[in-house]
Amino acid sequence: MYYVELLLVGLVWGCTYALIALGVTLVYGLLRILHVAHATVFTLGAYVGVLTANHFGSLAAAFVAAALVAGALGPAIYRLVYQPILDRPPYVALIASIGVVVAMEDGFRLVFGPYGESFSRGTALTATYAVGGMIVSLVQVCIVVTALVLLAAFSLFATRTRAGVAWRATVSDPAMAASFGVGVRGVRYLCFLIASALAGIAGVLVGLLNGLIEPGMGSVISYKCLAIIVLGGLGNVAGTLVASLMLGVVESYGTVFLDNVLDRDAIAFLFVIVVLLVRPQGLLGQRR
Amino acid sequence: MSLTLPRLLLAAAALGAPFAPPAAAAPNIRIGLHAPLTGFAAADGKSALQGAELAVAQVNAAGGVNGRKLELVVEDDQARADQAVPLANKFLGSGLKVVISGSYSAPTRAAATVFQKARIPYISAYALHPDITRAGNYVFRTSFTGEVQGKAAAKFIGTILAKKKVTLITLNNDFGQSLAAGFRSVAGQFGLQIVNEYSYAIGDRQFGSIVASVKRDDPAVLYISGYFFTGGPLVTQLRGGGVTAPIVGTEGFDTYEFIAIAKDAAEGVMITTSLDRDSTSPPARRFIDEYESRYRTPANMVAASTHTAVTVAAEALRRAGTDDPAKVRSAIAAMRDFDVSTGRIAFNELGEIRKAAQIQIIRGAAFHHYATIDDPVLLAPPTR
Repeated sequence: MYYVELLLVGLVWGCTYALIALGVTLVYGLLRILHVAHATVFTLGAYVGVLTANHFGSLAAAFVAAALVAGALGPAIYRLVYQPILDRPPYVALIASIGVVVAMEDGFRLVFGPYGESFSRGTALTATYAVGGMIVSLVQVCIVVTALVLLAAFSLFATRTRAGVAWRATVSDPAMAASFGVGVRGVRYLCFLIASALAGIAGVLVGLLNGLIEPGMGSVISYKCLAIIVLGGLGNVAGTLVASLMLGVVESYGTVFLDNVLDRDAIAFLFVIVVLLVRPQGLLGQRR
Repeated sequence: MSLTLPRLLLAAAALGAPFAPPAAAAPNIRIGLHAPLTGFAAADGKSALQGAELAVAQVNAAGGVNGRKLELVVEDDQARADQAVPLANKFLGSGLKVVISGSYSAPTRAAATVFQKARIPYISAYALHPDITRAGNYVFRTSFTGEVQGKAAAKFIGTILAKKKVTLITLNNDFGQSLAAGFRSVAGQFGLQIVNEYSYAIGDRQFGSIVASVKRDDPAVLYISGYFFTGGPLVTQLRGGGVTAPIVGTEGFDTYEFIAIAKDAAEGVMITTSLDRDSTSPPARRFIDEYESRYRTPANMVAASTHTAVTVAAEALRRAGTDDPAKVRSAIAAMRDFDVSTGRIAFNELGEIRKAAQIQIIRGAAFHHYATIDDPVLLAPPTR
């Protein structure tokens, strides 16, 4: 039962990675930009969520507010930071993105204070259930359900709607898509909007799971997401999901059985290195 | 009247006189302070700065030192070792005669060698790594080393709590490892059986796998090292996961931010620390009360330790009667039974302090006195 519990813990971690890494992989697929600044969108979502929840006493309001505000920040980063330098080599956008992370992190510290925030008693999903000798919290259930529902909804959107088809067409060939009448600019804004709203929701969920929202909470996740999208096969959505879950599970077992040798982040990167030695194209990527 | 050279000079002096500074205002004595004002440890940096500012304000309100006012010169080290050496050289370049570290072990270790080489007294307020004072005889520390505090925790658990089966959850850095090393070194002496030990990285806030493992181990007590921003989430997740064993933490949890994060889960948590909130000693009471009224927030260990370090520097300047670094160093080294906000302290030959360890417990969302571990043999600081 102990090993099952560790597996569940790992799947929960993996679902949080999936919600965040999906956005990074979408942006990479569309623009070939490593969108590290996605982590600040995630952190802003967490802050908006905790402040809304503590002020109005409603978690539903917290999720909506986080999705809206984070959903506005992502397109703003695209318009103000990436769009002016789209014709430059990709590393220019990466450096700009890292600059956004550094500036925003200390910006959060100035605006929200250095100590961090946590959910008040009444608003947190603190309920727990005893299931076959394990204690499962409502937050963990919510993270898994939210990740599965939102990722399923996204996959339906991408395959069954006109906007989704336009988006996939733009990913494979922007010039061809534009000549068929697809509004490439609109697709890009939509991509940042969806990715960022998901990151905002993930921010609230991770804040509930951790019990603390702090200025630097996105920094570890940002570089771990880069590892995940490489692991999943760059720009591959299904690969990102599989890589996120695998990484979460590896970390869950690793933090208990390898903790004397390596810490959690080192375990994650060791795993990535080993997988890439065997499959350089990523888990679900195609060999070119 | 003929204008001879001496008269000319006199006249010039008379004209210049109104612009010369008045003789009464001697220049301020400047004390250097480096603390992590930005970066991941910015919360502790803020507390350190406030504790130091309060100490300077108290000394100046009482007339200053040797007829001169104290002035704090502050630099941000971001808790990073690579920032520490340039800023130490900057302090030396601007002619500072005494410097305080209000920061973590990594930058403090790096800066200590610079100040030792320049023969400038340097006091570490709360950085715990044993190598800091080994830099030389100009380097002092006004808090316990990690090992000493870990030993105090082992004695507390073994004798006062009288629990035997312990699980350790250790923060994987200088601070956590030195606490755990001290704890393990005397665990057998107090009949403690270490069931298991887990470690975590400073960036980690998700402890689900450790919680599951602790439930399987079923220890009688947990000994946890970390800071409020790791300990708050960890304690919350342990209690949320159904772990009910008593929790003994360290001075890293000694701030109301810990209670603000962990809320109900913080109730009953005990910590080893330097600051006794229920102390009746006048310097401690004055520090606690004035800190709260000045900053509208309760005092914590970091603020108290930095307040102590600045107070020690001011007292040494007063006793030396000069800011000559060699004389100030001797005055610090000679301090015995000096009462400060963190208790009664004395320095040993390595520049470490001897004092009792406080055990505080969180009840009703506040820290209270629980026990004092006063064992001069067990808590003897290292001498070399």
